Amino acid sequence: MRVSYEWLKTMVELPEDPAELVREFVRTGTEVEAVETVGEGFDRIVTAQVVGKVAHPDSDHLWVCQVDVGRFNLGEDGEPAPLQIVCGAQNFSEGDHIVTALVGAVLPGGMEIKKGKLRGQVSAGMNCSERELGLSGDHAGIWILPEDAPVGMPLAEYLGTSDTVLDCEITPNRPDCLSMTGIAREVGAIYDRDFHVDLPAIKVEVGAPVADELSVSIDDPALCSRYVARIVRGVKVGPSPDWLVKRLAALNIRPHNNIVDITNYVMMLTGQPLHAFDLSSFAARDGRRQVTVRAAGEGERFTTLDGVERELAAGMALITDGERPVALAGVMGGMDSEIEDDTVDVLVESACFNAGRTSHTSRDLTLISDASIRFERQVDETGCADVADVACALIEELAGGAVAPGRVDVYPAPREIEPLTLRLARVHALTGAEIDPAFIERALTRLGCAVERAGEDFRVTPPSFRPDLPREIDLIEEILRLWGMGRVEATLPAARNHVGGLTLEQRQLRRIGRILRASGLNEATSFSFAAPGDLARIGMTDEGRGTPVTLMNPLVAEQTEMRRSLLPGLLASVAYNEAHGTSNVLLYEVGTLFYGRERASLPKEVRSVAGVLSGAAAEDTWNHKHGALRFFEAKGVVEELLGQLRVAKVRFRVAEGDGYAFLQPGRAAEVLSGGTVLGWVGEVHPSALAELDIDMPVAAFELNVEQLLRAARGQERYQGFSSFPSVDVDLAIVVDESVTYQDLVQRIQSAGGKLLAGARLFDVYRDPVRVGVGKKSMAFSLTYQAEDRTLTSEEVERVHDKLVTKVCRAVKGEVRS
Amino acid sequence: MSLIDDLEQLEAQARELVSEASTEEGLEAARVALLGRKGELTGLMRMMGKLAPEERPLVGRRANEIRAAVESLFNSRMEAMRREAQERRLAAEAIDITLPGTRPAIGHQHLISQIIEEIEDVFCGIGYTVESGPQVESSYYNFTALNAPTDHPSRSARDTFYVVDNAPGSVSHPEEHAHGESDILLRTQTSGVQIHTMETQEPPIYMIAPGRVFRPDTADASHLPQFNQVEGLVVDRGITFGDLKGTLDHFVRAMFGEDRRTRYRPHFFPFTEPSCEIDVSCGVCHGEGCSFCKHSGWIEILGAGMVDPNVLMNCGIDPEEFSGFAFGAGVERIAALRYDLPDLRTLMTGDMRFLAQF
Repeated sequence: MRVSYEWLKTMVELPEDPAELVREFVRTGTEVEAVETVGEGFDRIVTAQVVGKVAHPDSDHLWVCQVDVGRFNLGEDGEPAPLQIVCGAQNFSEGDHIVTALVGAVLPGGMEIKKGKLRGQVSAGMNCSERELGLSGDHAGIWILPEDAPVGMPLAEYLGTSDTVLDCEITPNRPDCLSMTGIAREVGAIYDRDFHVDLPAIKVEVGAPVADELSVSIDDPALCSRYVARIVRGVKVGPSPDWLVKRLAALNIRPHNNIVDITNYVMMLTGQPLHAFDLSSFAARDGRRQVTVRAAGEGERFTTLDGVERELAAGMALITDGERPVALAGVMGGMDSEIEDDTVDVLVESACFNAGRTSHTSRDLTLISDASIRFERQVDETGCADVADVACALIEELAGGAVAPGRVDVYPAPREIEPLTLRLARVHALTGAEIDPAFIERALTRLGCAVERAGEDFRVTPPSFRPDLPREIDLIEEILRLWGMGRVEATLPAARNHVGGLTLEQRQLRRIGRILRASGLNEATSFSFAAPGDLARIGMTDEGRGTPVTLMNPLVAEQTEMRRSLLPGLLASVAYNEAHGTSNVLLYEVGTLFYGRERASLPKEVRSVAGVLSGAAAEDTWNHKHGALRFFEAKGVVEELLGQLRVAKVRFRVAEGDGYAFLQPGRAAEVLSGGTVLGWVGEVHPSALAELDIDMPVAAFELNVEQLLRAARGQERYQGFSSFPSVDVDLAIVVDESVTYQDLVQRIQSAGGKLLAGARLFDVYRDPVRVGVGKKSMAFSLTYQAEDRTLTSEEVERVHDKLVTKVCRAVKGEVRS
Repeated sequence: MSLIDDLEQLEAQARELVSEASTEEGLEAARVALLGRKGELTGLMRMMGKLAPEERPLVGRRANEIRAAVESLFNSRMEAMRREAQERRLAAEAIDITLPGTRPAIGHQHLISQIIEEIEDVFCGIGYTVESGPQVESSYYNFTALNAPTDHPSRSARDTFYVVDNAPGSVSHPEEHAHGESDILLRTQTSGVQIHTMETQEPPIYMIAPGRVFRPDTADASHLPQFNQVEGLVVDRGITFGDLKGTLDHFVRAMFGEDRRTRYRPHFFPFTEPSCEIDVSCGVCHGEGCSFCKHSGWIEILGAGMVDPNVLMNCGIDPEEFSGFAFGAGVERIAALRYDLPDLRTLMTGDMRFLAQF
């Protein structure tokens, strides 16, 4: 809502400096988005006088003029000199006082005046029409000023138009503030001042009463709660007077003609949208005309006055003449019922259309008008009749029409407003401030409420233009915002009998992140959206991932579903980094996956943690070379994570089959805790990487967070260290390739018994000659130690020999000497 | 030649040997030759037995003095030689300490997670819990229970992502939708967690709920179709607007600095009444007005208000017995303000160069 300071000043006393009002508006809840000084648009536009006028030698309609602009053009002698301007207007004579835009001026439409030549004649400016200056619709020719107009005065100074416009953001609960009256009332409430609105009254009513010519029917009161119609006959359509044009211009409303301008002006003044129809567009049947408010049929077509033919949906409200639609109710009039220059009789509509319906219509047709904005926020239907009268009075005054007696007023269910009880104690309890009852009474009264004291409390009847005040709490809000939120003392709640803090699960979740970061991975966040082919593209199946959760109104083709794995997003980040010259990529993400369910509205939301490792842990440096990140680096991160979280009975199992087609066969493992699969770790299949234009191998993992935390045991009891010396013995065993490390180390551990304190694999060696084809040598460093004594070498030897025999037998291996 | 003369000659000889020795090995060999078991001094000492008893004390004392002097001569020389050797070795080991150190490659936490954790810690410090709720939500929890009118524009498909409902009418609090929108949507705000929390917990409630939310805004420098909010809710006996102020003043100062001021501007939200927006004084110009704060001196940071009685009643809480306040902040906005991010999309790319900055 644009608010003209000069206009507002006529309604309520204002501070000298608009900035002060802005501060008060902001303090009390009216956001001011911009403060503009109007008249700036008239920079380098001045009053002038035509001192010479001759026909252009090479044109039959242009004139070459000498224009005196006073001190704005000085000749070589330093004295004012006329400017030569070529002009196409025909309505002026030598000696006329006019308005001239100098070189460098920018007209309200954005046109910049430049020095140039018109058919060979120099032209250094432009003589302006009122329309070119945005002051009126009149474009019959250039603007001729009265003879006593000064020469060479800035136009803004001449017009006295310098005005300040506040561009106010009105919150959706305040329809009353979408009018100058509402704003004036708000100012009155802020400063505890009276305000007044000049409402012209109809002078005479003549001719046949409206009711004799017009009937109004509302098909469905849900569309329209009140419809008032009046008629003004014999109007003279023409340009509006300057004062009206100027007020509308400050509010960014372009002038059309006096009738339309009056409806717009009254709307801006009162907040009640009006529509003026050419009465003749309502078909006369036996001398009577009909106005019907009805719902549109599905697919019905209608051309709005912006010339666009629109397809309507069922339920949109239409104004018809009983048959033919003439307006899209509350949103925009029709092409055929507009006020034209030859309009004689005018029907003035002042109605209240349903807020929700108007909102839907406006939104569905993407058609927003000053009227629709007001209707969708709830117009005060009790004012319809009075506002119609104001409009008719202005038409009578400015367009010379004869106002027909009476009005047709269809108001099926007049609204009653019940008084509310406002408890003083409640005001104090909710605000935390001891607000004075006298202030409460004054503030609410200023806002238009009827206030009565009832003991300590109040009986308050909110005004009809405040649909946002149906409850006590709404009144408390009004009191607090006017009293001042800034004045309320800041306190902290006592929070008796309440404890806070993170839950164990939340702390564990943070730990997962800390462990992964300590492992060198950086946290990424990717979109929760996915494209339908995301999983299939890298060879992931739907299995175990539910059905896709599909968006009905996606923005882009890559984001039509919700994700079911974190891997595609992280791989996209790997590709992004590679494409931007970063080859070492270590990322993890903790995020939600969405597994849709066939027979449920809501999907299962699953928390997942995943990581990708590609390239090396870091760039090589002068003293450190980093190896490539592959399967074992990813597995190491998973092992560290599970170890730190004390996940019980961790196992890795070969991952194979269709479910793991996105991983390279032979480099893929399922991660288990006991019998529960927590997730997987592996190298992403080269075909999947090729699909995503990733050139480097990528090792990755993804684990189910809930399963992971369930398997985490938390802290375990302290275990002592033996204070007796340990003995290290190396053992290299040659086994078949099919024997896994896990097989071997389990055999070693069970054969070593209590005295075997550790078994560390330090080498895996293959050589067709020295080790044999299809075989490998696995070398362990075994540590023997007792908790209660120093082991003798004989004892160690005995245990070790027994271990070697047992293990070799179990895995069909032999000791490599 | 008396024995004493021999001893004294030996001492002189020792001095010569010590000064001539140039290596630790040479010195050790000389020491062994003089003081070792078969050394010359040891040999002379053995001859003590042949002296007359009256001579023994005198000669014995002198012999011991000389022996001690010689030993100390060798020891101090040996020590000096070792010290010099170590100095030479250390000098040779000197390095260019300006060479880069060997840094452990520790990963970085995402900027947004850092801010969320920081906010969680601020509120846990004043006794709040951290709650969460589903991201795919029914319109009841996202809108209706929060007092949003049925026709509210934010419910339109222009402002809310709707998803296909596989089982219409099966959620708790199912709703009809006249305009072809589904009952199921991606939450547009974390405020729904307020409802879930009030449905499952009895007051007193002091909680925050950080989380991802979704809106159909095409990604550009200042918009993302998904972003993060932190919701807050307090429901207890006797909660006032002053409590809201005290709490959020604490939050703003903890996040932005103790010297920051706050400003409470009345505003409108469907689920709070009274409602307000909260500005923090600009950290660049300290309230003077600059391009960073668009010359207002203030930066909008939070929306808040007293919980609307309708919302409490929707959750079975008596607004006459309990009152409360709620607030919400955009995490990306805080990030953009604190770190002057030029383009929010960088938050989503996983760009290592970006992640490693924070």
